[in-house]
Amino acid sequence: MNQINPLQIGGLLLVVILFLFFKLSAVQNEIVEADQSFKKSEKLALDVSALKNIYADKKRTQKRLQKIFSNRKLHTANLKIKEQKKLLKVSSESIDTSALNYLMGKILNDSYNITTLKIKQLSKEKASLEMEIKW
Amino acid sequence: MKFSSNKQRIFLDPSSGELIRIVKGKKVDIILSPSMYWVKKISLPVKSVREVKKLLPSIFEDSLPVGHYSYYAYKSEDEFIAFAYEDKKILEAIQKAGIATAQVGAIYFAQSEFEGIKTVVQVSETTGLYVKDKLLLLAPITWFKESEKLSFDGLKLSKHRIHLQQYGHIIDPKSLYKIGIVLSLFALILGGELFIAKSKLQDIEAKKEEIFSKYKLQSSTLQNEASLKKYTKIYTTQIKLRKYLSLFLKLHLKEGQKIVLIDYKNRILSITIGGVKKGMGESIVSMLKREKVEHKVSFHSESMKVEIKL
Repeated sequence: MNQINPLQIGGLLLVVILFLFFKLSAVQNEIVEADQSFKKSEKLALDVSALKNIYADKKRTQKRLQKIFSNRKLHTANLKIKEQKKLLKVSSESIDTSALNYLMGKILNDSYNITTLKIKQLSKEKASLEMEIKW
Repeated sequence: MKFSSNKQRIFLDPSSGELIRIVKGKKVDIILSPSMYWVKKISLPVKSVREVKKLLPSIFEDSLPVGHYSYYAYKSEDEFIAFAYEDKKILEAIQKAGIATAQVGAIYFAQSEFEGIKTVVQVSETTGLYVKDKLLLLAPITWFKESEKLSFDGLKLSKHRIHLQQYGHIIDPKSLYKIGIVLSLFALILGGELFIAKSKLQDIEAKKEEIFSKYKLQSSTLQNEASLKKYTKIYTTQIKLRKYLSLFLKLHLKEGQKIVLIDYKNRILSITIGGVKKGMGESIVSMLKREKVEHKVSFHSESMKVEIKL
């Protein structure tokens, strides 16, 4: 006849419920924090990935620049193109202004990491150009 | 009263409480005196004891004083023997007899254990048990000329034992079960919620670990934050370079003025405009101020040099 006091059972159940409730509340807080951290990491990953695709994708930059340089408007520009491991050097001792306008229009309207640029007017129709694009 | 080897057996009557000698630490089987319960012999058109038990409260309704009763019944030949008893009163008698609840083994009705007696059995100095119409009754011993003393020797206890509701008088067992079920369900729901929440947390943490490999980035947040800082700087510098170049290329220069040199290196953009004497470049300076561009201006012969740090 060792019966347990129902109040003790009720008390035990209430303790269990309280424990579960606080545990659940703690886990829900952890979920909120983990979710915020995940969103932050996702944003970080997306941003880094997007910026890397623009400024650190050598193949993409090479392909686009190649397309620009092969345009017939630049055939008379005597462009000297030198590719290095981490950058590309473009220079011309004498480039006419229309070719220069075309080239700079294309370069400045796209996303390239220009580290050096020097355009010096030689005459009304001519200029010299030095430019370095990093990838 | 005699003792069996394993368990002590006692006949419990409220009037004999102080006379009982209890062996400490030994389990006690209790046989309840007829004065501790109400009994009826009934014939009902039902087959099972279970069905009878449901009817017992209404069967005893008119014959019981006000109280909180529990019921029991068993079949005896073609009839049912039904009992009504107050748990609280029996518990009080057990306590009065000096028996700890932990010591209590099984509890029986005298009716079920002594219904076969042929003579009067004296259970106390003043009372005796006898059977009339299959019912065991307690009566003053003075009613009888002859009697035997109570003995448990050779007495085989029946299977008709009861379980006392220690707290039945505090709260109705049915309500207790309902509350218990509700609380247990609530605990189960909370447990389920906790399980789901933990799974969700693990999923989020797993997704967080996968995210950098998904975008083919470095493995740690710190490394990627450093990369982001580096590329953001490149981005803002390139945006500024294009913006400032555009400002100068769109600038309406006066007659004789022209950009003769654009030089950008080490994040410093310098624009040299020819045909501008010292004190004549106000329109250029005011444009830079309007656009909130921090700059340095210097003049060399007839040219103005504007330096902007990106």
